Amino acid sequence: MPSFSAEVFQNEFISEGSSDVHAIVSVTCTGAGEAGRGGGGDAAEIIIVDTSGSMLDAKIVAARQAAAVAVDQILDGTWFAIISGTHVATRAFPYPNARVSMVQMEPGARAAAKEAISRLEADGGTAMGSWLKLAGQLFDTVPQATQRHAILLTDGQNQSEQPHQFQNAIDSVTGRFQCDCRGVGADWDVAELRRVSTALLGTVDLIADPASMAADFEQLMQKAMGRGVAEATLRVWAPQGSQLLWVRQVSPNVEDLTSRRVEVNPLTSAFPTGAWGDESRDYHVAVRVPPQAVGQERLAARVQLLVGQETVSQGLVKAKWSGDDALTTRIDPAVAHYTGQAELATAIQEGLAAKAAGDAETATTKLGRAVALAAETGNDEATSKLRKVVDIDDPATGTVRLKRSVDKLDEMALDTASTKTTRVNKR
Amino acid sequence: MNENPPTDAAGQQINCPNCGEDAEPGDLFCEGCGQDLPDGITPAAAVGNRRPGGMAHPNASSPTRPMDMNALSPTCRNCAGTTFLDGYCENCGTPAVKVRDHWQERPATWVAGMSDRGIRHHRNEDGLALSARPEPGSRAILVVCDGVSSSADSDIASLAAARAARDVLERPRPDVPSVAGRISAWNERLAMAGAEANKQAIEAGRDPSGRAGERQDSPPSCTFAAAVFDSGVIVVGWVGDSRIYWIPDSGEPEQMSRDDSWATEQILAGVPREEAENGPRAHAITRWLGPDSPDSVPTRDSRVPDRPGWLLVCSDGLWNYASPARDLAEVVRALADEVQGDPGLLAGRLIDWANSRGGQDNITVALARIAPIPPQRGPAAEAALQPTQPMPEGWNLYPDADYGSPET
Ligand SMILES: [Zn+2]
Ligand SMILES: [Zn+2]
Repeated sequence: MPSFSAEVFQNEFISEGSSDVHAIVSVTCTGAGEAGRGGGGDAAEIIIVDTSGSMLDAKIVAARQAAAVAVDQILDGTWFAIISGTHVATRAFPYPNARVSMVQMEPGARAAAKEAISRLEADGGTAMGSWLKLAGQLFDTVPQATQRHAILLTDGQNQSEQPHQFQNAIDSVTGRFQCDCRGVGADWDVAELRRVSTALLGTVDLIADPASMAADFEQLMQKAMGRGVAEATLRVWAPQGSQLLWVRQVSPNVEDLTSRRVEVNPLTSAFPTGAWGDESRDYHVAVRVPPQAVGQERLAARVQLLVGQETVSQGLVKAKWSGDDALTTRIDPAVAHYTGQAELATAIQEGLAAKAAGDAETATTKLGRAVALAAETGNDEATSKLRKVVDIDDPATGTVRLKRSVDKLDEMALDTASTKTTRVNKR
Repeated sequence: MNENPPTDAAGQQINCPNCGEDAEPGDLFCEGCGQDLPDGITPAAAVGNRRPGGMAHPNASSPTRPMDMNALSPTCRNCAGTTFLDGYCENCGTPAVKVRDHWQERPATWVAGMSDRGIRHHRNEDGLALSARPEPGSRAILVVCDGVSSSADSDIASLAAARAARDVLERPRPDVPSVAGRISAWNERLAMAGAEANKQAIEAGRDPSGRAGERQDSPPSCTFAAAVFDSGVIVVGWVGDSRIYWIPDSGEPEQMSRDDSWATEQILAGVPREEAENGPRAHAITRWLGPDSPDSVPTRDSRVPDRPGWLLVCSDGLWNYASPARDLAEVVRALADEVQGDPGLLAGRLIDWANSRGGQDNITVALARIAPIPPQRGPAAEAALQPTQPMPEGWNLYPDADYGSPET
């Protein structure tokens, strides 16, 4: 049986006249079990492989291999399908002439799927929206599968459809399945793929070398199969007269959930969080409450995780107004750390965007700020990736110079890594 | 003093059940033997001739009188919400508190009170007890006692005292047709109520709660402020600095009680009010109820209001933020408008108001909405306007105040 726990990290004490309350709510799941085996419904997986013309030679070979490795990881009994994506979406397995759209995994199906994968050839354009829409249609044929996940692999930009068509497609499948996105090589657009992964509660990452694709897919599918809790919802109550400023996942990666808000009642908001395995996720909740007199206390937020209609864990965020500066000026280390990490992600993304737009001044300022934040919050991965894009004169002040020539892959690696956060030692 | 004929309105003779001495309606004690005369002495035939309900509910006590003071309050102190989760109000997030720290009483639609811990104190040491008959303007009893906070059990003493006084005041007694008779009867009853309250405050000291630690330096003691409205007359009694105000909807409001306090003594001695009330011993009281009380007999006064208004009894947690009657009246009238004259909501608003000003002390407010004013017979009403006790020399805190003149 899965079990959840929640822990709140905050400084409850705020000064007279203050109204903003910040807290990190850390939710941990243990005993999640395996996908589709918890009794709450079956699991379904779709592998979407870009087979556009650019996926020639080494890339298509590596993609076939990666898809096959992923198929190996799909647990028996899981509903699955493989989509071949070009300017149109084609069901590669079950074969287009099959009477069913998805089949359950078993040794025979695994062998047949690998056979189909080996026949994938690179030819055509790229219309990712159509791939997502077909995936949605296939999932719809297995209503018994409550946990639905896809992996999308591409190597290029979405050239075969209009941006609004792409966005419409994303909107039409949002909430119907989760999707992890992977880009291979240097020709794809990080922001474009991030739109998909953000909407579909997944991740986005760079596979710089096609040779490492199989290992990445193996890990990705293992993780998906280790999510025994099909769907959980974060629910946040805040008192009347208050304003929920934001709800942001801050670990393992930064993801602003505010735009996913669904109103439960005027005081309560719900945010979908997708499937859960054995893992911890940290959320930064910020609430603006009406200021009270010194000595007063208010519950500023009740943060709950729900599986179905059942509350499986909750944390309470409090506000206590105090006249004691020694109490009110302390910033909780977790709040400080994740505030810095979120700002780091923004600084990197804005810095790279400015650089791409030819605005060297803004790029230098933003990336300099990122260097300082990465140093401050001990994010060594970000620091080493930043080093490939800027020359650092002084990490403490964020004094940097843009490198004259930068490998595109290094910039993309920095971009995709920007949202990954380091954990904080909370106490 | 009492000029009524020795019969009730129906012309029936009344006798003391103990000694047979002639009595008249409104007498609290038998002139012959001193026995407390019960309501039941009034002939049943006479009841029918009185105001409807005047006797029909001799024991009309609070339907909302709280029972378990240690239970968590079912009502939010802040928003009056009634749903709590994890110990916090589901609406506004305010922590739930014990009933003793925040409760309301509403014995009738026109009478309500609320007692609240305030913001700075960790315990509510005010006491509150109310009683009323259902018909607006019939009979209301408001008692507030403020525990003196140098003792550990003042919260027990103040509540016991307030309830004891209320119980004495609500004991059945006949309706008295004459204004003067009512006033004299209530004067007697208030003296008894004060004595019983004092006894209960002393009892609280005899049987200490055994609370560990703080503030055992003096025995539990408390103030006493009681107001009775009975068919057109207000009779009040007090010991200490809890106050009774009469706030008519228009015209000059009046502080009916005169604090037994160092500050008031200073004011009477000529020190400016502002200075006296902010002096180092401004809150020191010169009379109280309890084991070491120098004099626990309530000072009494009365009034026959000539227009609708609010009868208000409160602890210093409220009046500290608006001491002069005019200032408090301004607040009361403004808030009363906001709540369309509902006494329960008004009590809550007044407590919110005091808390918004800092809530430095426990806050207790008892209110009776006096409207409409029952008609009084001329000569008796005139007689009642004479204070039952002489005003002390120099009592007038507002030499410039315009109190107007009674309408004839
Ligand atoms: Zn007798
Ligand atoms: Zn509330």
